[in-house]
Amino acid sequence: MTAKALVIAGYGLNCEEETALAFGHVGFDARIVHINDLAESPGQLENIQTLCVPGGFSYGDDTGSGNAFAQKMRLTLSDHLKEFIARDTLTIGICNGCQVVVNLGLAPAIDDQYGERTVAVTHNLTARYQCRWVDVAVQDTHSPWLDGIESMHIPVAHGEGRFMMEETILQTLKDKNQIALRYTKPDGQAAKNEFPFNPNGSTDDIAGITDPSGRVLTLMPHPERGMFTSQRDDYTTLKENARRAGQSLPDTSDGMALFQNAARYFETANIKKTA
Amino acid sequence: MAQRIDVFTFAEDGRAKTLEASLARLGHKATIKLIDSYTLEQDIDSPADLEAVQKSFVNPVTQTTDLSNLPKFSWALEIGFLPGVTDNLGHTASELTELTLNQKQAVYSAQVILIDGNMSESDIKDFAATLHNPLIQRASYKSATDFANDNGMGVVVPKVMLDNKGAAVDEVDLEISDDALEQIGKDGIENADGSRRGPLGMSLLYMKALQDYFKSEGRKPKDIEIETLAQTWSEHCKHTIFASPIDEVKDGIYKHYIKRATQEIRAAKGKDDFCISVFSDNSGGIIFDDEWMITDKVETHNSPSALDPFGGAITGIVGVNRDCVGFGKGAKPILNRYGFCLADPRTDPELYRGKNKTNRMLSPETIMKGVVNGVNHGGNQSGIPTPQGFLYFDDRYVGKPLVFAGTVGLIPREVGGKPSHEKGARPGDKILMVGGKVGRDGIHGATFSSVALDEGSPATAVQIGDPITQKKFSDALVKEIRDLDLYTAISDNGAGGLSSSVGEMGEASGGFHVELEKVPLKYPGMQPWEIWISESQERMTLAVPPENVARIQEILSKRGCESWEIGTFTDSGRAQITWQGETIMDMAMDFLHDGLPETPLTTTFTRGGEPEPDLPEPDYKETILKLLGSLNICSKEFVSYQYDYNVQGSAVIGPLQGPGKVGGDASVSRPVLGNPRGVVLSQGLFPRYSDIDTYHMAQASLDMAVRAAVAAGCPIDHLAILDNFCWCSSDEPERLGQLKRACEAIYEQAKIYGTPFISGKDSMFNDFKGYDANDNPVKISIPPTLLVSAIGVIPHVDQAVSIDPKAVNDLVYILNETKNECGASEYYALHGHLGNNVPETNVEGCMALYKALTEANSKRLCASAIPVSYGGIGTALAKMCIASGLGMNVNLDQDMPLDQKLFSETTGRVIVTVDPKDQEAFESIFAKAGVPCTQIATVMTDPFLRIDHFEVGLEDMNTAYRAPLKGY
Repeated sequence: MTAKALVIAGYGLNCEEETALAFGHVGFDARIVHINDLAESPGQLENIQTLCVPGGFSYGDDTGSGNAFAQKMRLTLSDHLKEFIARDTLTIGICNGCQVVVNLGLAPAIDDQYGERTVAVTHNLTARYQCRWVDVAVQDTHSPWLDGIESMHIPVAHGEGRFMMEETILQTLKDKNQIALRYTKPDGQAAKNEFPFNPNGSTDDIAGITDPSGRVLTLMPHPERGMFTSQRDDYTTLKENARRAGQSLPDTSDGMALFQNAARYFETANIKKTA
Repeated sequence: MAQRIDVFTFAEDGRAKTLEASLARLGHKATIKLIDSYTLEQDIDSPADLEAVQKSFVNPVTQTTDLSNLPKFSWALEIGFLPGVTDNLGHTASELTELTLNQKQAVYSAQVILIDGNMSESDIKDFAATLHNPLIQRASYKSATDFANDNGMGVVVPKVMLDNKGAAVDEVDLEISDDALEQIGKDGIENADGSRRGPLGMSLLYMKALQDYFKSEGRKPKDIEIETLAQTWSEHCKHTIFASPIDEVKDGIYKHYIKRATQEIRAAKGKDDFCISVFSDNSGGIIFDDEWMITDKVETHNSPSALDPFGGAITGIVGVNRDCVGFGKGAKPILNRYGFCLADPRTDPELYRGKNKTNRMLSPETIMKGVVNGVNHGGNQSGIPTPQGFLYFDDRYVGKPLVFAGTVGLIPREVGGKPSHEKGARPGDKILMVGGKVGRDGIHGATFSSVALDEGSPATAVQIGDPITQKKFSDALVKEIRDLDLYTAISDNGAGGLSSSVGEMGEASGGFHVELEKVPLKYPGMQPWEIWISESQERMTLAVPPENVARIQEILSKRGCESWEIGTFTDSGRAQITWQGETIMDMAMDFLHDGLPETPLTTTFTRGGEPEPDLPEPDYKETILKLLGSLNICSKEFVSYQYDYNVQGSAVIGPLQGPGKVGGDASVSRPVLGNPRGVVLSQGLFPRYSDIDTYHMAQASLDMAVRAAVAAGCPIDHLAILDNFCWCSSDEPERLGQLKRACEAIYEQAKIYGTPFISGKDSMFNDFKGYDANDNPVKISIPPTLLVSAIGVIPHVDQAVSIDPKAVNDLVYILNETKNECGASEYYALHGHLGNNVPETNVEGCMALYKALTEANSKRLCASAIPVSYGGIGTALAKMCIASGLGMNVNLDQDMPLDQKLFSETTGRVIVTVDPKDQEAFESIFAKAGVPCTQIATVMTDPFLRIDHFEVGLEDMNTAYRAPLKGY
C-alpha cells in the first residue's frame, strides 16, 4: 500500500504544488487539499500518513505570519490534528507552514503538550524579506525526517523566520534534542547569528525544531526548492564541472533526502496498523 | 461605538530595530517599541468573546494586549490609513474576528511607535513625515504624559462617510460653446456646486464627436455615458497615438511597424511559427511545447507610483498578474518581471506640484523604497517568482518614475478539448464579477495616466493592491474552475474597471446589459458613474452561461472568494446599463469602440548629440572602479534578495549569479517540474541614447534583450519580444518624430532577428509640470524610453549559461567587433559628456552572431557568457571576475585608444569563456559564420583584472560594485 501525503492549500499558501510533487517523486500518493475542504471533512486525515503545511503567505502574514491560518486550523481541526499526531504519522511545516505549525503548538509541544504555544517565529532582524541560499546542519535529533542527513544547502525565503522563545524553553529544546536544524556557514562552522549565514537573527541559529517524538518537523528553509540539482544556486558550475569530468549530474539534490526519509519511514512501518 | 485592541510586542522586534536605524540616520539615538493596533467598528460586549478576539491577534511568546506595563517612552507616534484606503491588515483582522466569533465586522489597523529618546516635537514631526504618505495615511503623536492622561492614542475609525444623498444620474448639456466643451474634456463634468469631477482627458475633437453622436440620438447624454466614453477612448485604453495616422503612415505606427513586423515574421517562419495569440488578448501567447503555452505581458504603472510609490507598484504587479489570469481561458502566473526608472536616490531636488511650495514631490529615495517594496509585497505574497528585472537611473525620472511590471503565464494549449486561447462571451451569458467589492478607488485612473502629472492630479487615483484576495480567486479560477469549462470568456478589471472589461467582452457577443445596482459596494453613497468606472482592484469579469453560474459561485465560495452576477451579455448592438430598472446608459457598441475620431499626427526629427569630447587618457583603474560604482552598473542585490525568485521551485538561473552574486541580464526557469524545457527572460533599455537618436536607442534596447537571452542559452529561433514605450510630451511633433524613428528601427530589426512582438503597452505623457524651489514653473520630461523584454524557450535547462567564468585557464573571447561608439555611454556620463557616436547596431552582424551562439550553446561550448552593455568591455570583464571570484589576464588589440576599446558600448557583443579543450570546436563555429571571435584573455587564480599596463584588485572591484546602494 502506498503511503498518502496530504498537502494543505488555500488563503495564500503557495508552495503546495512543488511540495506535493516532492512527495510524489519519492513514492507517496500525494494530494493537495484546500483547507476549507479539509475542515469540511476532517475524517480524511484518518487515511493519511503524512501531513504537510507548505510554504506561502497565508493571510498575507497579517497579524503575524501563520497566525490567522493557525487560528483557522485550530478552530476547525484541533482535535483531528491531535489525533493525527498521536498516530504513527509524520507532519512537516515548511516556511509559512512552519509558522503555522509553531503557532498551533504542534511543535515543540514540550512534554507532549500539543496545542501550547511556546515558540514564536517572528520578524527577521533585518525586518526584510530574505530570499537566499543557506546551509543548515542537522542536529542531534531523533527525527525520522532527518535520518542520515548531516547538512543541507537549500534556500530560505521569508520575512518572519526568527525563532524566539524564553531561555528556559530553549534549554528544554536543547536538553530534549528538539532542535532539528541550525544555520551554519558554508564550511559547516556555526553561523553564530552572523548575517547572512543566519538570515533572520534566529535564536541560537535555529532553523527548525521538532516535537518530542521527532515525527513533527517544522523548518523555515525550503527543501522542495533545493530538491533538484537544477534548482541550486551553483547549478551552472556543477554542470560545467560534470561535463568536463565526463560525468552526469545527479538529478536530485539535498532537499529531496528529507522527503525520501518520509517515504522510507512508511516502507518500514506497518501502514495498515497505523492508518 | 468602536473598540480598540492594542498588541504590544515586548520581545526584541526586527521592525523596531529597523526604525531605530532610520532614526539614527536622521541623527537621533532612540529606543523603539511597537504596538499593532486594531480598531473594531463595533464593540464586543461579552468579555469572553473579547478575550477570544484579543487572543487571536496576539503571539503570546512575544506580545501582549496588556498595556499596563509599557516601558518608558517619550513619544507615541501613530500611523494609520485614511478612510477608503485598502487596509489589508485590517481586512485579515476582520476575517480573524469573523472566524473566532462567527460574526462579520470591519476592523481598521494602525501602528503605534513608542519612542524613547531625546527628541523634540519637531523631530517627531520630521520622523513622522518619513514614515507616512499623507495621500493615503494619517499620522498623529502624543507625549508620554498625554498618552497616559488620554489613556492611549484614542479611537479613530477611518470609515468612509459619503454624502449619502442617494444615487443620481445627471444629464449633461453638450450643446455649449467649444470653450465650455473643452473645459469638460479637461477638468471634468461640472457638479451643481460648480466644482468639477476630475479630468476626462478628452480633447475638443473628442468632445465634438460626443456632441454629434448625442445630437443624432436626439437626447442629452448622461454623466455615466460621458465617463464611459472617456475611459474607453483614453490613450491608456485605445492607444490613440499609436493608432493615429502619422505623416505618410496612414495605418498608424502600431499597425504599420509593430503588428506588421509580427505578421511578416510569422509568415516567414511558416511551420516554425511559435506564436499562438498575439496582440488580441490581455497577454501574448507562444508555444512552450506540444502541451503547454507560455504567455507574457509587461505593463507600466507610472503616474500612480509618483503619488504613492508603494501603492502604485503593488497595484502594478498584481494588476499585470490579472492580465495573465485573464489570458485565454486563464493562465497560471509563473514568473514576474519588474523594472524601475528612477532619479538618483542620493539626491533630493526641491520640486512642487503646486505653486507657493505646495504639494512637494516625493524624494527619489522615498520613491525608490516605495516601488521596490510594492513589488516585494505584491510578488512575494502572490507566490509568483520574480527573477527578472532592473533598476535604471537618470535624474529626469524625478517627477515621473517609470514602474514596469510583467507576468509570464503557463496554460495548457487545450482546455476542454478546445484551444485555450479562444474565448468569447455569447449572447445570454451572464456577467459575473469575481473578487472584491467596489469603492471609489482609482476613479479616473485610465484618463489620469493619459495626461501629464500636475497639481490637479487626483488623489483618488491612488490604490493599494490586495494580493491575498487575488491569490484566492486566481487559484480557484486557474487551478480548478478553468478546467471544468464553465465559462466562455474571462478578462481582468484594470484601467477603467467594469466599463473596460464588460465593454471589451461585450464586443464578442455584440452588446451588454448591466444592472448596476447589483454591483456590491465597499460603502454606500457612490454614484452610478463612479461604480461603473471604479478601478477597485482584485476583480475579474467572467462570461458564464446561465446554467453554470451557480456551480462557479459555489466553488468560488468554497475557496473563500466572492462573486456577483451583475448583468447579461447581449447581441443588441447596444451598451446598456440600468439602475433599479431605469436606463441610465444606452449607446451603440460601434460608437463606443469605433466612434473616436482620428487625429492625424505630424512629426519632425532632429538628431541630438554634442561634439565628441576630447578626453585625456584616463586612470584606468579608477575609471573601472567608478563605472562599477555608478548607479546603472552597480549591484542591485538589495532588491534581488527581497524578491522571492525560487517559489514554485522553477528557478534555474536566478537574478544573482556565480559565487560572487552578480546581477545578470537574463534568467532561466523550468516552469513545468519534471520537464527539462526552460523559459528565458531578459530585457534591454538605453534611454540615454535617445538624447542623440531614438533610432539607435530603440535598436540597442531590442538588441540587448535578444542578446542577453541568447547569451543565457536561449536559441534565437524561439524568442519573442514585448515593447513598452514610455514617452514624453507626445503632443509635440519632435517627440512624435522620435517615436516614429524608434518604431522604424525596431520593425526592421525584429524582422531580421525573427523575433516577433507578442504584446506591448505604451505610456505617452511622462512629464512633470510643477514649480521649483523659487516658484518658477518647471517641466521635466523623461528621456524617451523603450523597454524591450524578451521571452524565449530553451529546449533543455542544462544548456543554460550563467555569467560567471567556471575554471582557471579558460579562454575568454569577445564575439563581434568593438567600434568607437562612446556616445551617450556611461563612460562619457562619468565625465559629464554626451558625445555623438551613439552605438549603431549592425543588425545583420548581430543576427549572424546569435545564430552561431545558438549552435555553440546547443553543443554546451560556453562555460559562461555575458552581454556587453553599460560601461563596455571593462565593466563586463570586471563583473565576470566578481561573479566568479577569479581573475583575468587580458590582452586587447591596440587598434584604437584603450579607453574607447574598454568603455565603448558597441551593441551586439558577447564575452564568452571556453574550456581550452573546446577551443577548436568553439572557434570553428564562429569562423564558419563569419563572426569576429577574438580571444582577449584567460581566466586566472590571481584576484586581479589585469589589462595592458594596469590591474584592478578583485576586492576593490567587489567593494566598488556593491557600494552605491548598499545602505538600502
